[in-house]
Formats: sequence, structure tokens, C-alpha cells
Amino acid sequence: MSYSDVFRDHLAHPRNAGELSGANALAEETNPVCGDRLRLSLRIRDGRIEAARFLAYGCPSTLACGSALAEMIEGMATDQALKLTKKDIVNSVGGLSTRKQHAAALAIETLRSAIGNSKVGITNGPNGLET
Amino acid sequence: MPYLTEKFGNASSVHMFGQEARAAIDRARRQVAALIGAHANEIVFTSGGTEANNLAIAGTCEALQSNGRHIITSAIEHPSVRGWVEAMEKDGWEVTRLPVYNDGIVRVEDVRAAIRPDTVLISVMMANNEIGTIQPVAEIGALLRDERARRQPHLCFHADAVQAAGRIPIDVETLSCDLLSLSAHKIYAPKGTGALYIRRGIRLTPQQVGGHQERERRAGTESVANIIAFGAAAELAREELSQRNDLTRRLRDRFENEVTQRIDDIVLNGDRDRRLPHLSNISFRFIEGEGLLIHLDMQGIAVSTGSACSSGTLEPSPVIKALGRNQELARGAIRFSFGKDNTDDEVDYAVDALAYAVGTLRKLSPLYQESVVAT
Repeated sequence: MSYSDVFRDHLAHPRNAGELSGANALAEETNPVCGDRLRLSLRIRDGRIEAARFLAYGCPSTLACGSALAEMIEGMATDQALKLTKKDIVNSVGGLSTRKQHAAALAIETLRSAIGNSKVGITNGPNGLET
Repeated sequence: MPYLTEKFGNASSVHMFGQEARAAIDRARRQVAALIGAHANEIVFTSGGTEANNLAIAGTCEALQSNGRHIITSAIEHPSVRGWVEAMEKDGWEVTRLPVYNDGIVRVEDVRAAIRPDTVLISVMMANNEIGTIQPVAEIGALLRDERARRQPHLCFHADAVQAAGRIPIDVETLSCDLLSLSAHKIYAPKGTGALYIRRGIRLTPQQVGGHQERERRAGTESVANIIAFGAAAELAREELSQRNDLTRRLRDRFENEVTQRIDDIVLNGDRDRRLPHLSNISFRFIEGEGLLIHLDMQGIAVSTGSACSSGTLEPSPVIKALGRNQELARGAIRFSFGKDNTDDEVDYAVDALAYAVGTLRKLSPLYQESVVAT
């Protein structure tokens, strides 16, 4: 398995890593087969993602896709973010083999869950989420 | 390398060029035999350790199946043994897989208890390729010698010594094994060559046909240059074994001491004493091994992980799982291997790079963040 330079850079220098204080949208999705986890915390205001942070556990593809996603969506309108596809994530890490594209799918799934959660409103919880 | 240029004869040819190549192969055969205390005509050259293991198992089972269809093996064999044993199982053979407990070592009592009247082959590796634990091959060999004398003369004993050769002394007489696999590149020779030791008198059905090479036990034109390099590497490995052993053990132990001091939440895998001097296998909690591998690769440090992720399915290292480790520890296991040319400075560099990489990956890990919150 070979990885692109962009992919490797995401691993070496993860963008937007961590948990966002003052987030008003949070989601964590797990790949039930391999156990990879991706957590996304967002601050959304006036239909725009002001800030995004990610945490990830699992194979390098999951980490790189999480980093690429969190970097890509900061400043993006939520409507536009919801149009992102697995292919956009794959491209943003310089390509992924077919066998690793599940990581990009997990990133998109987590993004959509987070934005979905923000729309239904979230109460303050153990993860510091605000409504 | 003259055998890649002007000395291009085929060792099976009668003409002078062929005989020149034949003489060189015969010399290499003696050199490889000397590494393991064998006779030269007990060495069959193959395309590598995988083929040697495949030939040992398939060839023995085919030759001995009229005596029974039961194989005993361990839970931590290399895929080239494990895979072939699984294939035999699908073909109706019965298999007993010996546990290795949390120290990664097979118990001789378990071997004794597993032997049945229809057992024909016992295959237990000399030392494991991921965690380096050295198996009690000589003790198993002695047990089987007794069993053969008492009631089961057809019992055959194979040991995969690919990882052990050139790292610890091996003597096939002391081990009392019938078949023993070797790989050239594990002792610094080029990749693509290996050997199977076949004790005189052992029945084995060839798995490649179409030529008289290797005393009709492995058909196919010999890879002359690679075999000659294998022979030279075997001679060097034998001469320098003690010196290489001392160096790698010292570097490995220093590495582990420093890693243990600088990085929390790690688990060292495999028995601390009964293991190869050059291997260290460590599980790093909260993170997954391949990410760590890539981080270290970017710093010029090559390590390996026994787990594989593809298409969203995960196959954690069967070896680490056999130790009773959970999924997280199996996923976070890395093998560090030290070579004859490594230095103390390189150990220091590797420890620094490792500490940094583990820190970076843990900052990303929700498992780590949860553990921090919990404490």
C-alpha cells in the first residue's frame, strides 16, 4: 500500500485536530466492522461552519480523511458541506485505493451526522456541546 | 557478480559453463548446510522461505497420508505455514493448533497430548517472526524421537527457522527435526531464494515437477547467482553469529529500556528472555499500528505491523491475538527489528521519533482523550 505525499502530510501534520470548545454540533461514527472511529465537533453560525475539529482512531486512511475533512469544511456553508461526497474526500488526500475508500465514506457519514445534529438542536452534554 | 554476467551457465547443463555453475551451487549448498549442522545433500534450494514451508507441509502430507490425516501446528505460525495447513483442513485433514499462552511459547506437554495415532506431521516454528519467541523445538524433537521409536515411525517434524537462522545457533541434530525452512534474505542475501533441509530418508512428494534439479525434489532451473549469495551469506552468518547476536541484543534492550521510560501505556509482547536477540514487539495503547508505521517511515525508520486493514475489514495480528491481547493492543502492535549494521545513535534517533509519533497520534485519538478524562 502506497500513500500520496498529501496523505502523508495529513498524518504528519494533522489539521484541526482535537475537540472544539463551544461546539454546537457533534457526531461520532464508527465503522462497525473494523472499529475505526471518527469524531467531528463543529461550531455552526448563520448556516456556515465557523470551526471544525476532529479526533480519529483507526487506520491511517481514517486519520488522514478526518484531517482533510476538518480542514476543508472550515468556513464552508453547511448546504455546500452537505453536498460533499466520498470522492471529494478521496481527492483531498491525493487518492485512496479502492480498499481504503471506506475511510472517506466514514468521514462523509460523520459530517452529515454532525450537521444533522446541529439542526435538531443539542443540549449541553458531557462533551461540552452547547445548543 | 560474475554469475550474473560472464559465468552464465545453467547448472543442469553438461558443458563447461554449466559445470562451473554446478560447482558454485554445490559450494553454496555446503555453506548453507554448515549453518544448520546438516549434510549438503540434505539441502534443497527453493524460491524462498514461503516455498520451503509450502513444500515441507504439502510434500510431507502427500507422502504420508496413507498413515493418517492429522497435523499439529501452533497458533502463531507464519502465513506460509498457516495458509497451507488451512488448505489441508479444507481438504479434510484434521488440525490441532497449539496455544502459546501469554508468553508466546508452545508447551511440550501440549504437543505430547495432541499426538494421535493418525498424526503424521508436527510443524512448529523455531522462533516467531513477529514477537521473536523461541519455541522448544529441541524438546519437541526429543519427544517425537521417542514417539517414533515407541509407536509412530512415520511422525514427521518440521520447523520453520526462517526468522531464527543466523540469529541463534541451529543444529538439526540437536533439534531432531526432519525438515527445516530457511530464507536467504533474512541473513542479508538477495530476496528470492530459500532452502528446505530434508533429513536423509524422509519421504516427501515434490510439489514442482518437470526437471531433475535438487535431486528431483524441486524441479526448476536454479537461481545460480542468488544461491551463491545465499551460501556466502550463510558462511558469514555462521562466522559472525555471536558478534551479531551480542550487538543486536544490546541495541534492542537499550531501545526497550528507553521506550519504556519515555512512553506510557505500552505493552511488550512475548517472553522477555526466550526470544530472538534482534526483535522487539510493542503494543501502543490508544493508537493503531499502521499510522505509527507511516510516521516512522517518514523519518526513515522501517518497522512492521502484523495487522492488515482492507475494504473496511480488519485482520489484527493473529500472533498478538494468540497471546490473549485485546483488539486494541493487537491493532497497536509494532515489530522493531535490529540489524548487524545498526548503531547506538540510530537507536536514540528511533526512540525520539517514536515518542514524537506516538504523542502526535494519541492527540488525535478519541480513545486516548477518553482515558485522560477518565483519570
